[in-house]
Amino acid sequence: MSFDLDLYQDIVLEHKRAPRNFGPLPGATHRAEGTNPQCGDQVSVELKIAQDRIEDVRFQGQGCAICMASTSMMTEAIKGAPTDAALQLQARFRSVLTSTEVPDAAYLGKLISLAGVARYPSRIKCALLGWHALGHALQSPLSGNDKPEEPTP
Amino acid sequence: MVEPLTTAVTPTPLGRPLGSQLRAQFPILAQRINGMPLVYLDNAATTQMPLAVLDAMRQFETTTRSNIHRGVHTLSQRATDAFENAREAVKRFVGASPAHELVFTSGTTEALNLVAQGLAQGLDGRAGAIGPGDEIIVSGLEHHANLVPWQQAARRSGATLRIFLPDAQGQLHADDLARLLSPRTRVFALTACANASGERPPYEALMALAQAAGAITVLDAAQAVAHSALHMDTLACDFMAFSAHKMYGPMGMGALVGRRTALERLTPLRFGGDMVQSVSYQGAVFAELPARLEGGTPNVSGAVGMAAAAGFIESLGHHAIEAHLADLRQHAVRGLQQIDGVTVLSAQTEMSSIISFVVQDVHPHDIGTLLDARGIAVRSGYHCAQPLLDYLGTGPTTRASLAIYNTHDEVEQLLGGVAHAIGVLR
Repeated sequence: MSFDLDLYQDIVLEHKRAPRNFGPLPGATHRAEGTNPQCGDQVSVELKIAQDRIEDVRFQGQGCAICMASTSMMTEAIKGAPTDAALQLQARFRSVLTSTEVPDAAYLGKLISLAGVARYPSRIKCALLGWHALGHALQSPLSGNDKPEEPTP
Repeated sequence: MVEPLTTAVTPTPLGRPLGSQLRAQFPILAQRINGMPLVYLDNAATTQMPLAVLDAMRQFETTTRSNIHRGVHTLSQRATDAFENAREAVKRFVGASPAHELVFTSGTTEALNLVAQGLAQGLDGRAGAIGPGDEIIVSGLEHHANLVPWQQAARRSGATLRIFLPDAQGQLHADDLARLLSPRTRVFALTACANASGERPPYEALMALAQAAGAITVLDAAQAVAHSALHMDTLACDFMAFSAHKMYGPMGMGALVGRRTALERLTPLRFGGDMVQSVSYQGAVFAELPARLEGGTPNVSGAVGMAAAAGFIESLGHHAIEAHLADLRQHAVRGLQQIDGVTVLSAQTEMSSIISFVVQDVHPHDIGTLLDARGIAVRSGYHCAQPLLDYLGTGPTTRASLAIYNTHDEVEQLLGGVAHAIGVLR
């Protein structure tokens, strides 16, 4: 496999070009932002959580292809999942990228396409930026005043 | 002048002795990265060292190494001579006159901190040379190393920091500076070449304007010293800072050169050995320049390497180096501008070795990784100049930067690599 394909697989580039669940999330209950000061990448993740389940998730921001694709795939993977399953996925995906866990395609699904990032240490932070924001968002409930207004029906 | 080093190449009858003819003197360049020949275009971050510099440092470490000053034994005297001869060589290299002195530092960052903090704070808890009501003007083109120390100096001293902003193309204009200067202006700090955009401001005229208004002038020459002749004796410059590792010398080494009268106003930042005249349990009398600002054992082989690097540059000649780099930059800029969606910052600037560019819808980190796959080393991101790139609205950029050993063939590989990366990522 060539270097380009190793890191920039078609599915990664496709998510970069058309990120899923992109934009503001009306009625979000949790929100956090991740930034990488070296390159200016910035991703905010918004969640709507009810009864310990992520009912909806969206993200906004800008970043490199790896960052955008990773965050896009993350939103697909955690939408509808219990919060503890999302946290577990975050921990295991991180372990794969930091080479402390062998990637399990059945568990990771599409995210397996990013396992190659582990071989590019300078890019691991790109792939994890959205996931850091997710981790913070899960612990950052919006107070009543912060909560974005529900769109009027 | 410094005698030409014997290892320097002889100009060929066909033209300048730069580019491919120099490569044998830089052993690090002869390697493959990701299976491809290394194309090293990250010279604004660090240039490589020629054999002449490596040999000079090895010679010092294997024959002369000893601690300097105060020793009466022979090696100590030889090491002291090596250090002081290096100081004289680097002073000559930047056109210092007897009215100037040079202080060795760990690099440009330390040199600029020495000026900013050394002016902002006084000895024994007294007020420094700048204080409440004073104004510090810093250009908007600066590396964080020539901005953050002034932010801190302003806060510590009660002075006000003012930013001399460029226009939307990143160019600085004298009339904008004139509007900012006032009797309250105490310091004007400026780069000789912006590391993030490659812009070469008219620093000679800007510093003359600031000095005429009574300001202390500070020049960050880190991105100019490897190619352009800098003449402290003719510049309206009180302090100039630069690094050895950006002029084919060792890392962790640099210098602050300044007018003696200006250097004498700096409060030392490193107190300790070698910077004192006499010490009692209660207090100390400090040494004269330059020792006063060089507390502790210095990087002597670094100074020797820096002087050898200066000699290496002089042996090639500033004009030949500038001509070679200008040719390469023009080649790269024109080629990049022909690629759809590419914008080169400060494309028209005179004499710069930096080509900073952005590509619509393509992130510099992705370009950097795809170029690395072809053995091409560039830098991606904010280049420690986030305010400038935010102000210009470009965000992070890809930066290719040139040195004497780069060739037109390497520029072609850069252009091909960028076109390929855009093809993959769009």
